[in-house]
Amino acid sequence: MADYLLKKAAQLIPTILGVVTLVFFAIRLIPGDSTSYMAGDNLSGEAVDALRERMGLDVPVWQQYLDYLLGILKFDFGTTMVSGLPIGQLIMEALPVTFMIAFLTVLIACLIAVTLGTIAAFSAHKGKKLIDQVLTWIAMLVDLMPSFWMALLMMLVFTLSLGWLPASGPIDFSDPVGLLQRIALPLIVLSLGQIATIARITRTSVLEVLNEDYIRTARAFGTPQLLVVFRHALKNAAMPIITVAGLGFGNLLNGTVITEFIFSIPGIGTLLIGGINSRDYSLVQSVILVYSFLFILVNMMTDLIYKYFDPRVKF
Amino acid sequence: MEKESLLIVDNLHTHFFTEQGTVRAVNGVSFELKKGERLAIVGESGSGKSAMAMSLLQLISYPGRIVSGSVKLGDKDLLQMSERQLNEVRGGEIGTVFQDPMTSLDPVMTIEEQLVHTIRRHTKLDRRGAVQRAIELLRQVGIPDPETRIRNYPFELSGGMRQRVLIAMALSCSPKLIIADEPTTALDVTIQAQIVELLKNLSADTGCAMLFITHDLGLVARFAQKVAVMYAGRIVEYGTVRELYANPQHPYTQSLLRTIPSMKGPRAKRLLQIDGFPPDMRQPVVGCSFAQRCPAAQPMCRTEIPSLTDRSPTHRAACWIEDGIFSGIAKETAPTAEELLHLPPKASFLRHQEPQDAAMPVLEIKSLAKHYKTRSSLFRKNGKVVRAVDGLDFSLQPGQTLGLVGESGCGKSTTARMLLRLDEPSDGSIIVEGVDIAHLKGEELKQFRRKVQMVFQDPYSSFNPKLTIEQIITEPLQVMKVGTGEERRKRARELILTVGLDVSYLDRYPNQLSGGQRQRIGIARALALNPSIIVADEPTSALDVSVRAQVINLLAELREKLGISVVFISHDLSIVKHISDTIAVMYLGKIVEFGPTQAIFGNPRHPYTKALLSAAPIPDPQLEAERNVELLSGDLPSPANPPKGCRFSTRCPAAEHRCKEERPELIEMEDARKVACFLVS
Repeated sequence: MADYLLKKAAQLIPTILGVVTLVFFAIRLIPGDSTSYMAGDNLSGEAVDALRERMGLDVPVWQQYLDYLLGILKFDFGTTMVSGLPIGQLIMEALPVTFMIAFLTVLIACLIAVTLGTIAAFSAHKGKKLIDQVLTWIAMLVDLMPSFWMALLMMLVFTLSLGWLPASGPIDFSDPVGLLQRIALPLIVLSLGQIATIARITRTSVLEVLNEDYIRTARAFGTPQLLVVFRHALKNAAMPIITVAGLGFGNLLNGTVITEFIFSIPGIGTLLIGGINSRDYSLVQSVILVYSFLFILVNMMTDLIYKYFDPRVKF
Repeated sequence: MEKESLLIVDNLHTHFFTEQGTVRAVNGVSFELKKGERLAIVGESGSGKSAMAMSLLQLISYPGRIVSGSVKLGDKDLLQMSERQLNEVRGGEIGTVFQDPMTSLDPVMTIEEQLVHTIRRHTKLDRRGAVQRAIELLRQVGIPDPETRIRNYPFELSGGMRQRVLIAMALSCSPKLIIADEPTTALDVTIQAQIVELLKNLSADTGCAMLFITHDLGLVARFAQKVAVMYAGRIVEYGTVRELYANPQHPYTQSLLRTIPSMKGPRAKRLLQIDGFPPDMRQPVVGCSFAQRCPAAQPMCRTEIPSLTDRSPTHRAACWIEDGIFSGIAKETAPTAEELLHLPPKASFLRHQEPQDAAMPVLEIKSLAKHYKTRSSLFRKNGKVVRAVDGLDFSLQPGQTLGLVGESGCGKSTTARMLLRLDEPSDGSIIVEGVDIAHLKGEELKQFRRKVQMVFQDPYSSFNPKLTIEQIITEPLQVMKVGTGEERRKRARELILTVGLDVSYLDRYPNQLSGGQRQRIGIARALALNPSIIVADEPTSALDVSVRAQVINLLAELREKLGISVVFISHDLSIVKHISDTIAVMYLGKIVEFGPTQAIFGNPRHPYTKALLSAAPIPDPQLEAERNVELLSGDLPSPANPPKGCRFSTRCPAAEHRCKEERPELIEMEDARKVACFLVS
């Protein structure tokens, strides 16, 4: 186990370095830099040059790259080029919001999807094809609906027509009830997308396990069917479910951009989009650095959860 | 005194309603089991024996359903019970032991959890009491150090140990009946002997009745008191073991008992084989199901279903012919090999290979070894070395068959892989027709592959399912660039006739063929390049008894006619004895005894050979009752960590101090055999 963690940690360094390098050069391939964004059409050539110098864009690219790497080593992300705000602080403010939403989404999605998937698998196993097919069709239908469309639909119904839930407003961690109301709609929209995938994989995995010999053994020793499903089948079917849920979580940490935008949530996606639009190199680089780090971390967590569910897993 | 009956099954029908039609897996089975009795149900795969057993517990899963009949346990009809009542019977009054101990225990739960769940479900014990009981049970079934073992997960135990855990589970609530569904099929011979002995003793000690389901007639003779033979969903013969084996009445039973090669006496030229295949269970039953394969079938047999009739007060058979086919013929005058021999046509390109120099062995192996390194990790710099094969020496004369015998993990299959040069040996040489091929590379290696070909164990997974039989057979020719397309097709036609199938099979796909037919295709493919040696790795272990003889006979005939040498790897001693000229007994990567078949079977010298022969069950209840089975204790040690001295010393009943310290070498005895044991001289 310690062996595994050390190995993973060692792998972290080249991965992060690769990501950092890639992002550093990729963003510089987008035409125009922060100065042209800030200057617009109004600033003279000299003024732009001065701005460039202030932002450190006048030195050769390799030197910018080295400076940047040194900064990271000191855990110093610097300030945003455009507004001059400390990037570290911006990320620390946005991250909890995104993290909370991603975590709750996966939690809700897992609870619902695993239940539905298990019911579908159990029905299929018993030869009750109708229930199975209805559930599978619903999952597919939900999966096919684009999230932005769902978001607008939700807003239309719950905010505009019924007036039950707000679609905008401040995110305040000190008011849990208000907070839940505020993020309820994005949670629903994001969960729906996850539910379809997780439910499908649960169905496949549980159905396979239900045909295993040890399930028959449990039944032959008088374990009631429901208990067989919950005690034996689900635990054995957990691996692929965890994999998919873990991937979903990783993606949610990074990719709730559209939903965040629609519901104006000051999460990390919003921060990134702002950075890209203003060609704020430092901001984009730092956000992506944090992303990749989190992604790797989530993968490691998934591996550790495997071990909890299946003692045969060796690192 | 007549014992009370425990279980009465009456006219049970279980059908599977598949999309391809209704499979009548159990089609009118009736029998009675008395208290404390050991009844064996014998049958081939598809005979409905497992479906019948699962019907008793009502664990038939979709799309199967019990259509009619009754199952009475004591005075209760199990088929009328609610699910809740059934769950009390399952595990409470009826314990079950399943076939594959590797997959029958939940892999992600400790032994303790699994046992405790079962115990607490059926008794009033609290958790601590249940754990105590579990430990007692594990001790009772012979698991050493149960207090620590109980905390293990199934994957941390060997196959034999897992099967003991399952037996402990079956015993946990003092059941009246234990159903054992092929409980030893997945185990090695010596472990099988342990488990059968354990079940037998438990039945005697606890007075628990046993329903033993198996395909192995030898095990039945060793274990059971009564036997029911199932064929195509029905019981065709039922009686006491002694009566049924001494005087079988149904043609199926009669033929089945004769397809098994004898472990004693000289080698028969050819095994009696049952031609054809079991019937398609989707077809409605008209007449006797065995009629198509029965040499004595009368017109009546094809139109009317025979029912079980009394042949003696304790013996019943379902056959229209009063005495069965072989009744008039005494055992000695049963059809001889020559009478039954109908050799398949011979292909023109397959010519009898006359050895250039009869004295020169076609295959010679000198100190052959294969060592694997286990993966090293960050903290363990050097991985362990697994000595899968550790110094083999033997030779094979042209046209002869060498039987390679041993239990799993002894290195048989690794040896086969090296003979085919699928693996490169770590040490030693493999001389095929005078050329050392141990380290050939590139084109030379490719050309060598013509000489040695393989027949694989599992006919279900050794073919590409997307290729037709013709493509499968001609693939070696294509790879070696032999002949034109037309010539290859011609050769495929010849080959398929050679293995006793007709040309129409060439256009089919593997999944349209039965196991026996596929194994014939496997042999045809091996013959395609006209090799001098065929390596057959457990070629019959996936086949049914009645089909096994067909494949063995085919191999023997081809060897006879073509002069091919065969390396025959198997754990089935009776078959090895039947087909081999010489035998090498392997244990943990070493040969412990090597010599002519007759010598080894007639008078085994090495303690391991003795134990193996003693563990193998003989299909003769009389002999089984008389002989004293020598049980080996414990499991096979891991080849990664073999014992220091003689590798067998940890399990050897005669091991002395010297055996644990020094390694014995293979020493030649006076009768042309070699034995590696200090205690033999």
